[in-house]
Amino acid sequence: MSLPWKLQETFSPEEIQFIVENEPIKIFPRFTTKQPVRGNQQSNSSVQTRWKLLTAKDEPLNNLVAIQTTEVALWIALLLKQQGKCSIVAPGWLRLAQLQKYIDYELKNTGRFSELPWNWLVVAQLLFSKAADDLHDPVHLLRGKVQDLREIRLSKIGQGLKHLNESHLQLDNLSLLEINELRPFVLGVMNKLKDIHNSISEDQEED
Amino acid sequence: MSYYDIDDILADATKIPCRFNYNIPGLGYLEGNIGHDIKKNAKVELPLWLGRVLAIVGGDADPSSVGEDEALSFIELITPELLAPRVINAIKSGPATLDVRSINSHFYALAVKWATLFNDRELVEVLNYMLLERSQEIRNHASSIDLENLAQGRDPGTFMLTLDEFEKVIYRNSHESCKETKQWMVQK
Repeated sequence: MSLPWKLQETFSPEEIQFIVENEPIKIFPRFTTKQPVRGNQQSNSSVQTRWKLLTAKDEPLNNLVAIQTTEVALWIALLLKQQGKCSIVAPGWLRLAQLQKYIDYELKNTGRFSELPWNWLVVAQLLFSKAADDLHDPVHLLRGKVQDLREIRLSKIGQGLKHLNESHLQLDNLSLLEINELRPFVLGVMNKLKDIHNSISEDQEED
Repeated sequence: MSYYDIDDILADATKIPCRFNYNIPGLGYLEGNIGHDIKKNAKVELPLWLGRVLAIVGGDADPSSVGEDEALSFIELITPELLAPRVINAIKSGPATLDVRSINSHFYALAVKWATLFNDRELVEVLNYMLLERSQEIRNHASSIDLENLAQGRDPGTFMLTLDEFEKVIYRNSHESCKETKQWMVQK
């Protein structure tokens, strides 16, 4: 078919990254694009290039002031970061103390997942690799905590999959990448369970 | 299970033992005697796609003989070897160690078809249990090397050789998914 079989009923991790890159994130710009109100004498000399975007708001980008936090889409932030034109403000949950709280919660409540944002794994991975110098805590420690969280949650997923059935499954607070990794397995098994279940016809079941 | 599904076609080609309820002229080739008649009570192995239809359609399609209480179908299906009680008992005792592939490489598909034909509730329960238990094992193998088994000296490869066709698809898809996620996490 025109779509390769691997992509027919799921996303690739790169597509998940693409989805997450559309989310807003705070940055410290290192340059100013805001035009001074006064000073008509400059207007003839400098015709400044403006951001004209169709899929993201260009208004904040045209009003950047150095060292004043602004919210922009993650993909723009990463592009600017790459050129050294901004530093990214790490989200509140990406700190050692906060991650440790999540880990404690995960360990205490074996029946549920902690309320990490839906894109935590992807955002953490992107910031570790592309904005490691902007994080509040040393990257290797943060990496360790994120890995801990991931493994605790993976083992919980393994526990949860013992209760697969033909009708439903509740996955509160499971992130997009984790769901995406599970999807082929869970869908395959649940569909087969449904097939097996449906092989008994309804009307004869009442006898 | 769609019309063009290759695995479904292959599953339908499995031979099922059947007994004829009528003398039928000219059908001897099903038994191997070309040109002869088939006798009542003759035991013949027919592919499921043929047996399924013949077990439903009756000999009394002629409207004049409606008087009879029940229209006897052309053939009667006999429980095949792959669903014999000893197989069912083996499943109940330990699905993960069962060599499904040696029983039949399209075990699930056939079992579901059988359960549909006979409305077999007990079989459905056994299948449900079997699928759940084996899927745990499949997931372990798909996501990583099973350290527990390695520690016990069991070769993880042996389980993979027992998978039926449906389980292989599940394994391949989930392994691919885990692998791609891991690659993405590492590459940066």
